[in-house]
Amino acid sequence: MLHIANKSFSSRLLLGSGKFANPNLMQQAIQASGCQLVTLALKRLQLDQPRDDLLSPLREMNIQLLPNTSGAKTAKEAIFAAELAREALQTNWLKLEIHPDPRYLMPDPIETLLAAEQLVKLGFVVLPYCSADPVLCKRLEQAGCAAVMPLGAAIGSNQGLQTRAMLEVIIEQATVPVIIDAGLGAPSHAAAAMELGASAVLVNTAIATSQDPVGMASAFAQAVNAGRTAYNAGLAAAQPHAAASSPLTDFLAIL
Amino acid sequence: MHIMLNNTPLQLATHCTVAELLQQQQLKTEGLAVAINNVVIAKQHWSKHQLQNNAQVQLFQIVTGG
Repeated sequence: MLHIANKSFSSRLLLGSGKFANPNLMQQAIQASGCQLVTLALKRLQLDQPRDDLLSPLREMNIQLLPNTSGAKTAKEAIFAAELAREALQTNWLKLEIHPDPRYLMPDPIETLLAAEQLVKLGFVVLPYCSADPVLCKRLEQAGCAAVMPLGAAIGSNQGLQTRAMLEVIIEQATVPVIIDAGLGAPSHAAAAMELGASAVLVNTAIATSQDPVGMASAFAQAVNAGRTAYNAGLAAAQPHAAASSPLTDFLAIL
Repeated sequence: MHIMLNNTPLQLATHCTVAELLQQQQLKTEGLAVAINNVVIAKQHWSKHQLQNNAQVQLFQIVTGG
């Protein structure tokens, strides 16, 4: 079980709800993934446009909704977005994300830590999207964050575990769940993250923009399970040379 | 009374609360958040919070995102 704050989840796969072709496809993919935590975002209401009923199906599936602060460029903006999200969804759970630069969407570590410290004091369950920086992750943990969410690669880049070596250090040191967020482009990336000992992974683009999001959601779920099972089973160590699996006897020497 | 609703001017015949404004605009409150003059108004206060003249009312909605 994955334990975050006061809640337990049987699935270690978190899904982002963005970029699906339509809400129905998103709902089916969430179901196929078996995930129990789904991220959502905020925007200014457009009074002249009809609103999709996004929330009713998610509420029916009994999913923990995790609003994000995407769009915030500073701690001040993120705290404002967090307060809006708390009212809009009536939850104090929050994915804190502050990325001022649209080209790489790298999280701003200074603003993120500042915001996290204040949001924890305001009673939020804070899950910060952050750089794969072991010192920063420790500082976020000490600030009272319920988990840390270091990136594997840039958001939506599908590049996999570019930060692998640093993620290993983060996982080794963490006393809160480590959720690898961003950049996982294939189920094999998710499996690799879980084999490292990550507590969970968050996937959005790789599922939502695949040819068959429902099939891909299922594939990611299997990969996460396989990776976690492998981690629990303890991977055999890599060796520089061959180590025979069959007996190397001279039974053919008679020829 | 005059207010700004998401940067659009709006005339209101009488004083009203946040909840009454949302009702007038026929807005579903699920997934909705309200800020007045850049201060977030808690949902539980919508039925009591009176709008003041020249209030800058901003409405936000939950959308999909990662």
